[in-house]
Amino acid sequence: MALLEINDLSTDIQLSKSVVHALDHVSLHVDAGETLGLVGESGSGKTMTAMSIERLLPPGGHIINGEILFDGEDLVQLQEPRLREIRGSDIGMIFQDPMTSLNPVQTIGDQVAEPLMLHRGSTKRQAYKEVMEMFGLVGLPSPEQRINDYPHQLSGGQRQRVMIAMALICQPKLLIADEPTTALDVTVQKQILELVDRLRQEFRMAMILVTHDLGVIAGSADRVVVMYAGKVAEMADVHTLFAAPKHRYTDALFEALPERAAGTGERLYSIPGLPPDLVEPPPACRFAPRCRFAVDSCRAQVPPMTTITTAHGPQQFACFVPRTTPLNVPEPVDLRTIIPEVARVEAAELEAGMDLSSVDATVHADDAGPRVGAHLAPGAARGAAAGGAAARAAETPEAATASDARGWVAPTTFIPDDGVPLLQVQGAVKDFPVTAGAILRRHVGDISAVAGVTVSIPRGKTLGLVGESGCGKTTLGRLVVGLDVPTGGKILFRGRRISQLRGREAKEGRRNVQFMFQDSYASLDPRMRVRSILREPLDIQHVGSARDRNERVDELLAAVGLPARAAERYPHEFSGGQRQRIGLARALALQPGLIVADEPVSALDVSIQAQVLNLMKELQRDRELTYLFISHDLSVVRYLSDVIAVMYLGKMVEVGPAAAVYSHPQHHYTRGLIDTIPIPDPVIERQKAKLGVRGELPSAMNPPSGCRFRTRCPMAQEICAKVEPPLQPGGGSVPMPAAELAAATAAAAAAGTIPHLTACHFPINGHAAADTLVEGTVAPGGIAADGPQDVTADGAPDGGRPGGTPGPAGAGGAV
Amino acid sequence: MTTIRPGVGEPPPEIVGDGHKTTVAVSSTGLPAGKAKSMFQLGFEVFIQNRLAIVGLVVLVLAVLFCFLGPVLYPTDQVTVNLLNVNLPPGPGHPLGTDETGYDQLGRLMTGGQVSLMIGFAAAIIATIVGTIWGAIAGFFGGWLDSVMMRTVDAILSIPILFLLLFLVTIVKPSVPVMIFVLGLTAWLVPARLVRGESLTLRVREYVQAVRVMGGTSWHAVLRHIMPNVIGTVIVNATFQVADAILLIAYLGYLGLGISPPATDWGGMLSNGTAFVFTNYWWLIYPPGFAIIIVVVAVNLVGDGLRDSVEVRLQRR
Amino acid sequence: MIGYILRRLAQSILVVLVVTIIVFILLHQLPGGAARAILGPRATAAQIADFNVQNGYNQPLFVQYFRQLGDWATGNFGFSIKLNQSVSSLLVQRMPKTIVLGLLSLALTVIVAVPLGIYQAVHRNKPFDYIATGLSFIFYAAPTFFIGLVAIEVFSQNLGWFPPEAPQSDGVGPIFAQFDAMVLPIVTLALLSIAGFSRYMRSSVLDNLDQDYVRTAQAKGASPTRVLYHHILRNAMIPIITLLGLSLPAIFAGALITESIFNFPGMGLLFWQAAQASDYPVELGVVIITAFATVAGNLLADISLAVLDPRVKL
Repeated sequence: MALLEINDLSTDIQLSKSVVHALDHVSLHVDAGETLGLVGESGSGKTMTAMSIERLLPPGGHIINGEILFDGEDLVQLQEPRLREIRGSDIGMIFQDPMTSLNPVQTIGDQVAEPLMLHRGSTKRQAYKEVMEMFGLVGLPSPEQRINDYPHQLSGGQRQRVMIAMALICQPKLLIADEPTTALDVTVQKQILELVDRLRQEFRMAMILVTHDLGVIAGSADRVVVMYAGKVAEMADVHTLFAAPKHRYTDALFEALPERAAGTGERLYSIPGLPPDLVEPPPACRFAPRCRFAVDSCRAQVPPMTTITTAHGPQQFACFVPRTTPLNVPEPVDLRTIIPEVARVEAAELEAGMDLSSVDATVHADDAGPRVGAHLAPGAARGAAAGGAAARAAETPEAATASDARGWVAPTTFIPDDGVPLLQVQGAVKDFPVTAGAILRRHVGDISAVAGVTVSIPRGKTLGLVGESGCGKTTLGRLVVGLDVPTGGKILFRGRRISQLRGREAKEGRRNVQFMFQDSYASLDPRMRVRSILREPLDIQHVGSARDRNERVDELLAAVGLPARAAERYPHEFSGGQRQRIGLARALALQPGLIVADEPVSALDVSIQAQVLNLMKELQRDRELTYLFISHDLSVVRYLSDVIAVMYLGKMVEVGPAAAVYSHPQHHYTRGLIDTIPIPDPVIERQKAKLGVRGELPSAMNPPSGCRFRTRCPMAQEICAKVEPPLQPGGGSVPMPAAELAAATAAAAAAGTIPHLTACHFPINGHAAADTLVEGTVAPGGIAADGPQDVTADGAPDGGRPGGTPGPAGAGGAV
Repeated sequence: MTTIRPGVGEPPPEIVGDGHKTTVAVSSTGLPAGKAKSMFQLGFEVFIQNRLAIVGLVVLVLAVLFCFLGPVLYPTDQVTVNLLNVNLPPGPGHPLGTDETGYDQLGRLMTGGQVSLMIGFAAAIIATIVGTIWGAIAGFFGGWLDSVMMRTVDAILSIPILFLLLFLVTIVKPSVPVMIFVLGLTAWLVPARLVRGESLTLRVREYVQAVRVMGGTSWHAVLRHIMPNVIGTVIVNATFQVADAILLIAYLGYLGLGISPPATDWGGMLSNGTAFVFTNYWWLIYPPGFAIIIVVVAVNLVGDGLRDSVEVRLQRR
Repeated sequence: MIGYILRRLAQSILVVLVVTIIVFILLHQLPGGAARAILGPRATAAQIADFNVQNGYNQPLFVQYFRQLGDWATGNFGFSIKLNQSVSSLLVQRMPKTIVLGLLSLALTVIVAVPLGIYQAVHRNKPFDYIATGLSFIFYAAPTFFIGLVAIEVFSQNLGWFPPEAPQSDGVGPIFAQFDAMVLPIVTLALLSIAGFSRYMRSSVLDNLDQDYVRTAQAKGASPTRVLYHHILRNAMIPIITLLGLSLPAIFAGALITESIFNFPGMGLLFWQAAQASDYPVELGVVIITAFATVAGNLLADISLAVLDPRVKL
């Protein structure tokens, strides 16, 4: 019998002037003891479903239809007092952001004890005893001291552990986890997910795991519900869903994942357009406007839920044109019939500058091609290039995404190829001073954000810079563009130090290196129209005449796939992906040689992320751009980068050609990081369960001596604490002669790449070396008296993974 | 809660999540059709929709008309003392009666209002200009100059403003220009703090940092980004400054240190009425009292409306 | 904690020093300078010159300043020729009365405004909320002396419930002995701050109602009352504490008006009478003392903030 059964649930949110139909006839169930993954993009209704269960809806939200049966009781009809008895006692919840979800002015002990005092009538003393036990279970170090701490005194991972303790303290039958790891670092994410899973089994709970991350779902869920635009699109067990998705939305989502094209450099499939506005959702299939396979019936009626039986159980989907083969088998007959409606509209707008309203939205599949051509005709007349794009748009359905319809000839970069690496970072150091003291603020120490980093990027290539938050990757990016001034070391652009240029030269020098910000909203002045935003760099650098600048703005918009009329709009009128394109256009305005992109896609949904990644790749090809691409997401970095550099606590620990670093990591941190990234494949994800980087990043104010990673390294030896390993080919303790290193670099440079360098005393070079070392491995944290306290955060003695068992080699081969 | 952020996407790992804020995507192709409205238009629309703000604005316009056009339609002698008509109750010829020196109370309300409104608006403008410059300099240059300038503001703020004003008007003989000057010079502290605070937060905004990446100077950042973004806050605050100044001038008038007779202001009128509290000459107290309240409420309503429209411009992400 | 207090204390001392500089400058802006201020308007030029030499007013400005500072620091605020009494003895007489008046009205403000603001926030956009908001708008706009006058006319003249004049005798004792005479002054002084505080409290609670931690508390099964009093209240009070500190100057200014209406012999009345009589030493003494009290009050507010909010950097 199902523990929780949701039938025909519809939830509305009343806004000041409109009603958002957030959920529309959602039905699903959760069996006792199982984990149901609820996955979808933002606005899909996954969080709303979770919140509807306990009626914790945002203001204006109310359930208008349906029932939610929990243990036989209908939670929709239940009186508030009875519902309150269930909240926190039978159903526990974990929220996305542990910082804001905890009361800032109450001790964590009081907050975790509250459910016990509310539901069991425990006294504070009794409750505290249980809280202490629970803190032990969730791996919070030294509970006796922590219990009187306030949330701000804990790290992000510890706060989420407190949230988990709070949700589980009454041993609920159902745990609802709403994006429990989205606000956390990947390394911490893995630990939290494992913790939740372990406790779930221990307490025999059922769980609803709400997430946008298919990798997380693959690792943790038993069954998966895919939601789109307030409706359930598909429902199946995790293995069936990942092997053979049926709904065309699920299918498209998988194709948009960067993992699918890692290493091949193929463009990702990007679902055109944006999810629908739920104030007025599309009448029939909600995905139809963005779907490559949509047929007439998709636009005429709501597809019913179809149930088929698979080897693992039932699979349900609401699609008229389901995928006919498993994901790894190409479909025998290409069912793709049309260019998705949205893409046609976008292309038409882009080329002809037409208004949305003038585009016939009900073009039939069979005559789509000619009709599109007709729409594009005026645009084509304007120039041959535009015509070419239109023709392409008509020919290949996939190419019709807006990003592809670049209607102009890309100008060549004005930087000649003289063999000098475009960017050379030589021993860059950045310390941020820390002050303290009552009256006179005295300097008490430094946060060592970047500690002697040397790296170079070959022309026209992408260097992917990865690491946990706080590793210094963003600071390095800011040093490169000159937003911060290095404390030491040199940053050379085409052999010249940017920071030493003065006056006019400095201003001109700036043109060559541009920055793309992570938060596309914060980086665009809300009070400026897009035209002014894009003109600003041109105005500052006095490029051309006023007319030239306006023309350049139009070119830039076309280059990033936005219609010309976007120029007259304000940033807030665009979606996140579109704003990131504007940010990219601004970075391109001065025709730079190098663009430093700081997490440009991490705020975007998978399908939108694919649009931006494709665009970045195309622009790189057309304009010989060089990227320094900063991201915490290894799969995105892997897709885009030629060279990967891994940073840990201000140090470069490994750098080399992308394939080599990803498939044959030599540093234990790189290996751990790769193992930590959740991979959207349930088989692989479950195999590598216990691997990954443990613990949390130590403070950069007092970094560990020697190798900074040693406190979390499974292979750490005495030498690691004493000697800092040199960054050189193959790693090792003995520094390589400078000449040899130079020769290796030159050889690699001749091949248009860089050598594979590692800073590790005991690199993963062949297994032999690693295996012999394993015998002497000290338990993690054992050496590091000054390391973070919760290195063995799992609390379990088996926290140190069995040494020597190398995970699936590089995990890269699997994707 | 109800702010809609179209398609911001899943919150990034390092950014505070949007919790149970409703993230609702916009229409499938993104941009709405038609010409974009300017920021000013958007703000104006919000203001127009705020009924109370409109009421406030209308009342304010009426008050100005009453004070400045009123005397044309209803001329009275506000100069000659007329001891025959002292303290007449409302009646024919004197709709609001007369005061203790025989001036027509309705006519006096008009001339007194002229002084109150003029000083109120002018002082607010001076205070806003001085405060903005002071705050901008402190925020822009930072360092020890900022410390000195802001400690000065703290120090003056810790002296109750009425004490300072009273002290100043015992030194200089009050006249309308003097009052404007004195009030303006004591009321600039709040806008100074505000502008400094705003420019400090704006300075670290990414779009201001972006200027540096483009090779722009700090002055470019100030002119193109910081000033336009501060201006809204400054205007809103200026409105509240008007209200405060009208009240302050009334206080001074009440304390007998306002404008010298025969000129007067609403506070001065009330002050004169005080003597007759015990004789039930209500027409000497209530008309100027209510006049002050009505105008100050109206100005505050307009200020609230303006603040909303400025904020909404930012909220509509 | 200690470090934080010391830091704030240092800052406060700095502010007080700047105040003394400002007052010193004001003193020298007086027509005839300090001598005229002290000797009175009828002093002859010769007397003034004599006085200047005797008291070192012919010395360089900074020497004068430091001497003045020394005087102020030792409680020597000069002598009021008009009242024939030393300023410090006047202040000692009058200050406690004003402080009691201010504290009582502040207490009334908190007692009324905090629950009112909470009630309004919880029952927002209901008739009571609208009425209370409207009233707070009006009281916020009403000059204190107008409220006082109306209060006297209605409650003293017409209804005869309370005397129109505050207790006149010396010391703090009579304030409590004749408390009925204190009702109108306290209420008059409190109304303005009640109007401001209740609006602030309302929006503070509303802000907190939207916070994620409120949803967490609900998910734990806490009742709306518990969520409000156990979770929201403390968070919502934090900005109010700062506001309390910042409202001190306004309360002193309000006291000036209130004291003059009800003829309450406190510091405000002293200042008003001094201002009318151009009794500069008294005026300056009061200004310095009130500024000092304000700075001290702000310091106190910041310290209680640090106690209440664990996030304040210590």
